[in-house]
Amino acid sequence: MKAETIENLVVKDLFDDAEDSEDSFQKEGPTRCIFLCEFHPTVGPKITCQYPDNYISKELFDSVSVYIITKAELLRSTITVTLSDHKILGFPVRIDDKKYARNAYHFNLCFVCDSSSRTVHYEPVVMKLSDYLVAMEIESNFLSEGSSSTKLTPILKQVLEDLNNKGECALTEGPTATHLKVVKLRSNPTPVADHQVPIFIKSLPTQQWDLTTQQVAPFIDGFNHIARIASLADVENNLVKACVQNLVYYGAVALIPLFQYGNVYCTAPKLKMLTQDVNLQNRCLNFVARTYRQLPNLKDVFRMYAAMTRGTTIKDLCIRFNPASLKINERKLVQFGVLEGLIRRVHKYPVYLGESLELQKSMSGVSSMDEVCCFAGITAQQLEDQVERDHNVVLLWK
Amino acid sequence: MEVNPLCIILIKSDSKGDRLLFRYPFQVQERIEPTSTRKKNQYSLPATEDLLQSPPLPISNINNKGGLMGFTDEVLSSLFAVKPELCNQKFELKVNDVRFVSHPTLVQVRNKTQDESGLLLNIVFALQALASQSVVKCYYDLSKRVGVALRHEERRCGYISEQTQQMMAIHDDSCIGTPEIAFQTILEKCTLAKNINNLYEDLCNTGIVNIRINKWIPLSFCLPQKVHQWHLRGKIVEPEDIDRCTLSYRCLKALRPYHSLLLFYPLHQLYDFMSLDGSPSLVRMLSQYSPLKSLQTLAIDSDITLSQVFELTAHLVYWAKATVIYPICSTNKYVIAPDAPLHLNSPLIEKFNEAFPNVNLIRVISDFSLPMSLGQKCNPLCHPIQQSQLVQMIIWMLQHHLLLQLHTYVMYIPSNNGRLQHNMSEIKTGSYSFRSNGTNEIAGVYRSSRTESESEMSLNSGTPEPRTQSELQTSINLPNSSFTSVEEEKADYHEDLLLDFPEEERNIIFRIPSSSNSDDLNLFAKLCRKQYFLGEHHLEEIMYLENLRRGQLLALLDKFRDVLVTYEAEDPAIAMFLNSP
Repeated sequence: MKAETIENLVVKDLFDDAEDSEDSFQKEGPTRCIFLCEFHPTVGPKITCQYPDNYISKELFDSVSVYIITKAELLRSTITVTLSDHKILGFPVRIDDKKYARNAYHFNLCFVCDSSSRTVHYEPVVMKLSDYLVAMEIESNFLSEGSSSTKLTPILKQVLEDLNNKGECALTEGPTATHLKVVKLRSNPTPVADHQVPIFIKSLPTQQWDLTTQQVAPFIDGFNHIARIASLADVENNLVKACVQNLVYYGAVALIPLFQYGNVYCTAPKLKMLTQDVNLQNRCLNFVARTYRQLPNLKDVFRMYAAMTRGTTIKDLCIRFNPASLKINERKLVQFGVLEGLIRRVHKYPVYLGESLELQKSMSGVSSMDEVCCFAGITAQQLEDQVERDHNVVLLWK
Repeated sequence: MEVNPLCIILIKSDSKGDRLLFRYPFQVQERIEPTSTRKKNQYSLPATEDLLQSPPLPISNINNKGGLMGFTDEVLSSLFAVKPELCNQKFELKVNDVRFVSHPTLVQVRNKTQDESGLLLNIVFALQALASQSVVKCYYDLSKRVGVALRHEERRCGYISEQTQQMMAIHDDSCIGTPEIAFQTILEKCTLAKNINNLYEDLCNTGIVNIRINKWIPLSFCLPQKVHQWHLRGKIVEPEDIDRCTLSYRCLKALRPYHSLLLFYPLHQLYDFMSLDGSPSLVRMLSQYSPLKSLQTLAIDSDITLSQVFELTAHLVYWAKATVIYPICSTNKYVIAPDAPLHLNSPLIEKFNEAFPNVNLIRVISDFSLPMSLGQKCNPLCHPIQQSQLVQMIIWMLQHHLLLQLHTYVMYIPSNNGRLQHNMSEIKTGSYSFRSNGTNEIAGVYRSSRTESESEMSLNSGTPEPRTQSELQTSINLPNSSFTSVEEEKADYHEDLLLDFPEEERNIIFRIPSSSNSDDLNLFAKLCRKQYFLGEHHLEEIMYLENLRRGQLLALLDKFRDVLVTYEAEDPAIAMFLNSP
């Protein structure tokens, strides 16, 4: 995972609040039970306290106790054991001290989920909660006193209910306080390139931002590319990239290809949804309209999308349809299509088949025209002319 | 790569205790301290801020060579000598970033009295915890299969007792040396250890396992995530629900009689792949194979039922021996696939050159930058040899997923605002089923203004059948009065033809000049009613289902172009075979 600065953590909190928590919990499933087990000097491993009571039976516990009170090598490891209908996630801990019967106190705080749900995102929570209990134990023998079940059960109850309902929990009992939060796991964002264009896909919460985002955000309008934003906002290029990448990670921003009238797009199978999904239709018409007062009609919008084939540039389309008279903003039309996956940009990849090693390197077929332009610092037109003249260059559209 | 196993571990547990008998690979086990790998300047000042902010490094049990580390053999054997309650079912344990999966098998030892509890044998696969649920499931399946084979061999000839005793003896003999030496000796002497070695190598290299346990029981296994990665050149494709059943099911659902099979390997290699007791119908089907034939033709030629051809095709797709395409013909339009790895250093260029000397792949494929059909590419003066070479090249490029076929879809947009609002909801719930039970039938009914009770009735009656005109007339509650007053001058057949269309749509259609031709209008109404113009069916499918010629259909599209919009896209059914295994 990406190394996170303090700023990122702030952003993360903002978005987790803004997000509807339903979809994140549906797939991941709630915690069913939390229990604490310890190694009793005479009885061996046993459950000291659990909420809800008797969720994990004694027989079940005995069959898996070897994975809960473990050998010394596995201490402080997150261990998940999946049974036919439960998944038990624990973090075995040992506190060495002369005061204990065997000079050490073993315990493990475990979360139980359904066997089909994911539990990886609970791992940090389990670790943190265990550390909290360790602190309480060292401070005041909270666990080993024997009366733990009366004091601990309300805590476990609170954690279970708060995490399942709100996804976070603040424990203020005892001398120390701790805050727990279930953080949704996301895949790493891809690196951001100079020629890409960021566009907001949901409105930013109005809380305080870190300085870079505050400075960059006003220039993210769906048309400016990264390098341009950097110069407009007077922020260093790499900082803009990091900021945008961060926003992409939290799903606030999507990256789309730079709009040019020479670009070529092609239709995707999803285009059929435009006539079938009324919601998508309304969003589309409102988005692509020149002014919000006069909406274009669906037939024209659909015809324009349908006419996007390989070999047809946006310029050709504009000449053929005259989008202004149809009340369509062609830039927004392309933007919406790309964002919703109705159309896809067709990139041109120049491949040099001649002898020159230098040209072979720059036009190997790995990078598209956009990237070559960006790299060489020339305009698309210049490159196109050059490619046109040279018979050793083959253009692949894909 | 996260689908490869980190390690395969063999554990036994019986009345004499538990023991790790063998693990492979066994060379990599030294624990590398994470701090020592990072270079640290000894003059640097400790940054206190960092200590507070950076979270503790997560503990990892995977070394940088992709092997398992940090577990002693004793820990492993205590972990996997599971309690009898957990035997003969799925066992899954995740420790830090390693996930262990197995099927602990209880084996009744031969030549022993029945009352003994028997021997627990556990073949554990250590995977990266990142590996998806479907990968885990596949490995579980593999562990189970090995377990079943071993149990059988024990019952047949006491194979397990012999092998375990041999391994234990070697461990005991070499107690002075390092365990690596003992494992090396075991690998040389024990066939079971050799099997595990082969298993590991096969899984890491190809994803297809073909071993013989005790030189007797063949064990074949396919790790689809790995196998399909191979022909997609390392692109990680991971649909969530790929396992044997759902994959075959999805594959079968997507297959159509007009599709065709495209093998990745020459036929003689496929015959090698089939075992001696392979299905004779597969042999028969392959003997008639041609990428130009549709599955239906293939079924007729090889005298097998269509449903069985579908099953066999799904099987070949699962084992990554074939893919499904639309049969190659002169009207097919191809373009370069968006993810085709075409660059100067691509090994494909070399490979293409071997198959077709003196032809450059990049030059050939650049013709497909714009949609290009076979018919366009060869002119009538073209030599037949050149033409057949062109077909061969297209086949080669399809086999390597460099080309994509574009199909034309038709969308019916009558008014400026699309279809009328009340139609939209009906389209979604519209009865539309496409079954691949050999007699493909489309059961799409254009439902207009249906009442509640009627739709319930059709639900109860199972698959709805296209209703006759009289039925349609009874179910209609349109404002007929206004219709008759406006269109009185129109001939009677027009009223019959479009009676089930909403009035506005009807008026628009009647404004099209071709609507005065009753044949055209009839065909248009029929296709519309069967919901072919919703972007779900491409032209070839409509042609197949309605037994139309391309010319007829194209002429119709042209005549009704005011309400029909066409666009080109790839067939999602075929894309399923390309993008997800």
